[in-house]
Amino acid sequence: MDLKGVGLMKKNTLVMLGGFIIAGAIVFLLMAATPGSSGVELTMKELLATQAQHKDDFVTVEGLLMENTIKWIPDKIQLKFDVKDNHGNVMHVIYHGTKPDNFSEGVITILQGAPTKLNTFQAESVKTRCPSKYEGKDMKNYDPEKHKQLLDKPTKK
Amino acid sequence: MYLFANATIYIGLAIAIYSLLIITLGISTKNQKLVDSGKGGMIALFVCAAMAMISLFYLLATSQFQYEYVTDYTSSELPIIYKLTALWAGNAGSLLLWTFFLTLYMIMIAYSRKMKGNPMVPYISAILMVNAVFFFFILGFVAKPFVLMDTVPTEGKGLNPMLQNPGMIIHPVTLYLGYVGLAVPFAFAMAALILKNVDDFWIKMTRRWTIVAWLFLSLGNIFGGQWAYVELGWGGYWAWDPVENASFMPWLTATAFLHSVMIQERKNMLKVWNISLIIISYAMTLFGTFLVRSGVLTSVHAFANSNLGLYFLIFMGVAVILSLYILMSRYNLLKRSAGEFNSFISKESSFLVNNLLLVGAAFAVFWGTIFPLVSEAVRGTKVTVGMPFFNKVEAPILLSMMFVMAVCPLLAWQKSTVKNLRRNFMIPAILAIIGMTLMVVLGIQKAWAVIGYGVIILLLATHFLEFYRGVKARRKMTKETPVVALYRLMIRNRRRYGGYIVHLGIAFITMGIIGSQNYDVETMKTVGLGQSIELRDYRINYDRLDQKKEGINDIVYADVTVFRNGKKLGTFQPEKVFYGNWEQPSSEVAIISSVKEDLYIVLSAWEDNGKATFVVKVNPMMDWLWFGSFMIVIGALFALWNGKYGNVTPRYTGVRKEVS
Repeated sequence: MDLKGVGLMKKNTLVMLGGFIIAGAIVFLLMAATPGSSGVELTMKELLATQAQHKDDFVTVEGLLMENTIKWIPDKIQLKFDVKDNHGNVMHVIYHGTKPDNFSEGVITILQGAPTKLNTFQAESVKTRCPSKYEGKDMKNYDPEKHKQLLDKPTKK
Repeated sequence: MYLFANATIYIGLAIAIYSLLIITLGISTKNQKLVDSGKGGMIALFVCAAMAMISLFYLLATSQFQYEYVTDYTSSELPIIYKLTALWAGNAGSLLLWTFFLTLYMIMIAYSRKMKGNPMVPYISAILMVNAVFFFFILGFVAKPFVLMDTVPTEGKGLNPMLQNPGMIIHPVTLYLGYVGLAVPFAFAMAALILKNVDDFWIKMTRRWTIVAWLFLSLGNIFGGQWAYVELGWGGYWAWDPVENASFMPWLTATAFLHSVMIQERKNMLKVWNISLIIISYAMTLFGTFLVRSGVLTSVHAFANSNLGLYFLIFMGVAVILSLYILMSRYNLLKRSAGEFNSFISKESSFLVNNLLLVGAAFAVFWGTIFPLVSEAVRGTKVTVGMPFFNKVEAPILLSMMFVMAVCPLLAWQKSTVKNLRRNFMIPAILAIIGMTLMVVLGIQKAWAVIGYGVIILLLATHFLEFYRGVKARRKMTKETPVVALYRLMIRNRRRYGGYIVHLGIAFITMGIIGSQNYDVETMKTVGLGQSIELRDYRINYDRLDQKKEGINDIVYADVTVFRNGKKLGTFQPEKVFYGNWEQPSSEVAIISSVKEDLYIVLSAWEDNGKATFVVKVNPMMDWLWFGSFMIVIGALFALWNGKYGNVTPRYTGVRKEVS
């Protein structure tokens, strides 16, 4: 590949130009991939108020588990339960999968999926979160009240 | 003991400050005595850090629960090895480990024979000493390892069972060695800039230390992935979690530096770029620590949240601003006598493309990691990007990277002629096309897999040619047998052939990733006793569900017999462990490995009537991934090893009269 024909332009400049094209392609790739594979993080209140418009979105939402609503159908591997928040909102959840560890009353569940039907959340993943997750804190002092407070400021933990 | 342990930290802080001041003074007054005093301080500092480590090890081993750290991370029934490794289970301990490695690296450099008489030594020492002051400050005032409890508990809280795994013994150690290691090239770069001396010696030393850090970073990531695979029970090894990204970003930029520094060595180009890469890599290690310790992002790894992250962010900010200032003030010096690109198709430009791709990949990871924060700041909603985002963006970038890696070795420096290209690439290209056609005919038809494996065939062919031609040329002159010629060829060009071995390792890892990402199958099924699950060629008979006690833990396990194509492979026990001192149970998966694929069985739930729910996965080519990782280590060690022949980093022979 000879660049003699290019004339006055410095070859360094040309190579740099090639570099910019690659950099541009990567930025384009980022822009193109961001909306398609991203989701939104909402509180239960926001989600329940705007269910219709998030029907096809990948939503992350957190709620407090209501233990007496858990229904586990082993043969279909289907888990149904309700979650609530501190404002009295209740949402049904359907999940194809097994119970996560530590699935007990008042624990914060992190749900990812979409609100397919009215007040019903079709979850693709269900995780639990407790404030002491990876720290050696004593779970016997586990405190549902503390979780209630934590739910209101989910991102800061 | 309490006094002694705390004394090691605070005396350490005092010594670090003293050494920093005295070395700086020594540099400015050109007084060798003062510099020597500071270097003595380094040894004292190392002793302090070592004593602090020994103290904490001792306290952990003897279960002295009056110490908060011991109580928080251990309990008396823990096996001794995990009592000791609990040292890096929490914030304070892992920072102590970090500090210890930093002081270790410091004396290795200051007292290295190769660096004797080099005027860079005091500068490097001072820069690393700033780091040491920061870490001792953190240990002394923010994350204190030796804090006494008000009341002495009779029993500790125990170590998170997930951390009780051989992978966790070594993963943090290697990762920290890598993180700290990147401070060394940074110090070298800054020292060289201050001294206005970015010479050949500098390049060789920096490169060596970067390979050391790079090797440990690679190991850290690999061990982390392996731990996730066997311990977390989701069947994957990489989740693009913020913490994983935090260690992947410096790895990418360090890899970019290792390549572009070769152009600087050859052609005296890209100097500003190289130093920027070092600064970025170093800053990324601090930024990663900030991410992990501050709790701004939701992550499965998150350590206890504290304001620790903020200190790291501030330290990083100061370091980056100062280093950019130094870089700018030396900009003219670096700009001078730069070479030029002669052609689009040459080794130089392929290195440049490689660099752009690596840095682009790092930027994409960075973007995805901080995107939730950015979107929250700009639009008010926290938009999360998950694994699909990273896979979508990184796959094409890293695949192009593989392509560059495949063609680069056979491109000529300066300029490749058409004749040269035809001679070098005809056979590999034909092989790759035949391979891709065969794959499509034989039923491998996913675009990613076909293109990916095609590129890897090209890579293997070009690397084979490179070895083959080297041996042939050597034999022409020496008339050695092929094996002897290959051996001698390699040990006389360690850096080059070590690099090729690493390339081959990356190729194997990529094959494993492509296979396991595109052709994994998973099923989740509830079966009664005596029934079986079928997946691909496998039949898994569920024979028995039982319970046993191991120490203070209760274990529920299932006996399953596995058949492949009707042939019995054996009986395996996926289990779920309920811990005596830990709320969350954890799954111990059963993995049956072969060269072709892994069978991955998780026991996830069971009923009173004996029915049990299993998750069964087939992950193809996982062993290739681990084998490739092994080759990376071999290659990096090979490149580092000081052989009898050539390529040994020369001793400093400068003539400048300076303090050293």
